[in-house]
Amino acid sequence: MFDYFLQQLIFALAIGAIYGLIALGYTMVYGVMRLINFAHGEFFMLGPYIYTFLFSGLVGLGGLAPVLDSAIAIVASFVIVGLLGVAIERFAYRPLRAYGRLAPMLSALGMSIVLQSAVRVTVGPQPVHFPAIVPSTPIDALGGMVTTVQLGILIAAVLLMVGLTLFVNGTRLGIWIRAASESWTTSSLLGIRVNRAVSLVFFIGPGLGAMAGIMYASYYGIMQPTMGSVIGLKAFTAAILGGIGSIPGAMLGGFLLGAIEVFGTAFLPILSFGYIGTEYRDVFAFAVLILVLLFKPAGLLGETVSEETTVAKKDY
Amino acid sequence: MALALENVSKHFGSLVAIRNLSLSFDVGSIYSIIGPNGAGKSTVVNMIAGSYAVTSGTIRLGETALNRLPKHRIAQLGVSRTYQNLRLFDGMTVLENLEVCFFPQSWLTFLTGAKRLSKAERLEICHACLAEFHLSDVADVLAGDLPYGRQKILELARAFVTQAPIVLLDEPAAGLNHTETKDMAAMIAGLKREDRAIILVEHDMDMVMSISDRIDVLNYGELLCSGTPDLVRTNERVQEAYLGTTEELDDIRKLAQSRRAQGGLRANAGIVRH
Amino acid sequence: MGNSVIARRLGLLAVLALCVVLLALVPYFPSYYVRVVDSILIYIILAVGLNLVVGYAGLLDLGFIAFYAVGAYAYAMLASGQFDIHLPFIVVLFIGAAAGAIAGILLGFPVLKLRGDYLAIVTLSFGEIIRIAINNADDLTNGPQGIAGLDRASLFGLPLTTPVHFYWLLLVLAIIVCAGVYYMERSILGKAWRALREDQDVVRGLGINTTTLKLLAFALSAAIGGAGGVIFGAFQRFVSPESFTFQESLLVVLIIIIGGVGNIVGVIAGAVVLVVLPEILHFAAQYRLLIYGVVLVTVIVLRPGGLVSPRFNLGFIIRKVRTLWLSPSKT
Repeated sequence: MFDYFLQQLIFALAIGAIYGLIALGYTMVYGVMRLINFAHGEFFMLGPYIYTFLFSGLVGLGGLAPVLDSAIAIVASFVIVGLLGVAIERFAYRPLRAYGRLAPMLSALGMSIVLQSAVRVTVGPQPVHFPAIVPSTPIDALGGMVTTVQLGILIAAVLLMVGLTLFVNGTRLGIWIRAASESWTTSSLLGIRVNRAVSLVFFIGPGLGAMAGIMYASYYGIMQPTMGSVIGLKAFTAAILGGIGSIPGAMLGGFLLGAIEVFGTAFLPILSFGYIGTEYRDVFAFAVLILVLLFKPAGLLGETVSEETTVAKKDY
Repeated sequence: MALALENVSKHFGSLVAIRNLSLSFDVGSIYSIIGPNGAGKSTVVNMIAGSYAVTSGTIRLGETALNRLPKHRIAQLGVSRTYQNLRLFDGMTVLENLEVCFFPQSWLTFLTGAKRLSKAERLEICHACLAEFHLSDVADVLAGDLPYGRQKILELARAFVTQAPIVLLDEPAAGLNHTETKDMAAMIAGLKREDRAIILVEHDMDMVMSISDRIDVLNYGELLCSGTPDLVRTNERVQEAYLGTTEELDDIRKLAQSRRAQGGLRANAGIVRH
Repeated sequence: MGNSVIARRLGLLAVLALCVVLLALVPYFPSYYVRVVDSILIYIILAVGLNLVVGYAGLLDLGFIAFYAVGAYAYAMLASGQFDIHLPFIVVLFIGAAAGAIAGILLGFPVLKLRGDYLAIVTLSFGEIIRIAINNADDLTNGPQGIAGLDRASLFGLPLTTPVHFYWLLLVLAIIVCAGVYYMERSILGKAWRALREDQDVVRGLGINTTTLKLLAFALSAAIGGAGGVIFGAFQRFVSPESFTFQESLLVVLIIIIGGVGNIVGVIAGAVVLVVLPEILHFAAQYRLLIYGVVLVTVIVLRPGGLVSPRFNLGFIIRKVRTLWLSPSKT
């Protein structure tokens, strides 16, 4: 039982880390723009495609050592997807800032369709094999079986999260981002270039999403143009669960959602004597979300705003 | 009908905003709550209106305890208010801003139509109110398109249109120029009625002194003194709270005089405006 | 009475006549076009219903399609061989609307105190939960296979089988729904909703229970969604979870935003554009969705407030017609 538990735990952590990375993109964008970026799931999907393209390109050109090729391709995918994010913000969201919150959301939905169908048109709709970055070897850890891929994902994701936290808390640019999330107007009055903070967020968020996509694809060994939709939705759920706008909240939410899903799937059929099967996995995740929000209406780590201090009078 | 605060305290975390405050307001008068910034004036208004929950103590309207009641119930019992920052329905016309106040207050009235004003009655009351507040000419203009001063007056009208017995005015003169403030003061003074208590939180001392029947001075969440404008004006503790001790005051005066001699700062006579 | 007035009246008459003639001609179109028009009408009904919540009350509901599913499955279970229950269409129509409203209240009651995006994600989750539950409750819903062979509907003895029959039904219903919502918009209830959209705390300060106000919007829109679902079920004579994905919810929201939030005329325009556009784009084969997305983004960047200006609403049109007819000198 224990080794089974441990195995599930590692699995939960790995998938939770992926959710967390994507959730970071949602939460940071939301923080500075109060926008649900429905296109974010597509950055996740673009990650593995761009990586594969670059990697095979490098190999085709003669390449260096495979490890170096992968490393270059990974970094380059981060940058490319990040730049794409910046460009999308610039052309599809920025012109709409003065028009409430529904218009940018619609634009984001449109962008999501554009990106997804662009990939579909280019490489076809069918799932494609994703080459493993790290060979998947099982490791015997404390009696449970863990694969190198799982460990690799976990380590890489945690490193990215730590890096982001250090960046946001310790650097000048990071402080800009946090200031812009607190108050757009005050920040610009204080001489912070809010637009730069926004661009930065739209670079980091999609970049992290792409990293998560590469991890996800190497975990399942497969990628397809629609893979961003459902995962994106779940990661958004994770961001809300942790408290949208909160960076630690997004990470917590991601891990929590991973745990809920994995343990829900593993133990639900046992606990309910087979009545509720694994097919209710997603229901379970959403139900937990609703329950959490009922008791903590701003998510786990979100700030509760008192109504007298609410800056925005309108919800939508 | 009387509104009474009985030993009310309000804590924000470790900060004590209001400490054991007891006040009572009866219909037929205009009351002003004044005090330096951070004294807890707005907190009092927000507690009465139900936006903040009191930490301890009771707020009563007649026999009914208001604290613990949801905000809309408090409003239904006859407490209406304005806000420190304008909070009109900008996308609706001036007339509609008033009409909304007559939305049926319970499911029962909504469904059965009992005790519910007809559309004609509703419009008649609203138009009469607009005339009273000199807003008739802009009845069909979007509230957000009005100039600031008239928006302030519209908010005032919205607080009075339902004839609520308790009206809380949170800084009605904030942001108005001198003439507008005078007009506002005259308007509020003219709204005094036997069946209505007007409670004013205001920084403009001319306005407070000229229209109040009683002034309550708060300092650090406690009642410093309470009485007629003349009494408050001469109270030493009030001057201390506003301007510091008399020695400090002398220092300030001297400094101001020397500056004025240099042709620089023009010190304002009277009480400092925050 | 001047010549210009007569000319304008004639112009108005011509426009009205053109509308009526067009609507009357639809049944003679080829079947494919009638189906497209039916589809437009269904989405008009849905979007006008959802607009009560999104446009008037200012609450973003991303799980609206769940109520549509409730209605469709109500017809599938109550008028098919599934349980061998065969209730008449009109009865199920009301049951579907009621079931939708009840689902709306059940969802709304606990969650309506949430604000903005939290409400959005909870409604989204609710939509997904309903879809997954339908997908898995095999005994009730046949799971992913769906329920086929629903009863042929009839209304007051008239058969409802061809797209043309449904065209008339949907047209009448769309007019009823638009008129009803327009009436509500003008009533004090509509004003309270708009105020709620502007500033809910102040609305509470005016003595209005915002939770019931939101609940009312939610229930009414869910009822319209439920009724729409019943018609959908009767029309397709087949239901499966496929039809009720998150994307469908988004489509209805899109219709509202692209047409013009809170404006019935805008919603109609939005439904026409978003239903017709993919049909036109059929020629583009696999590039269809790509072009669709690009058009969407372009339209919203060029016209962020929606295609139809908020001033050009039903009230404006009615006023215009009325003044032209009754006191033309004023125009």
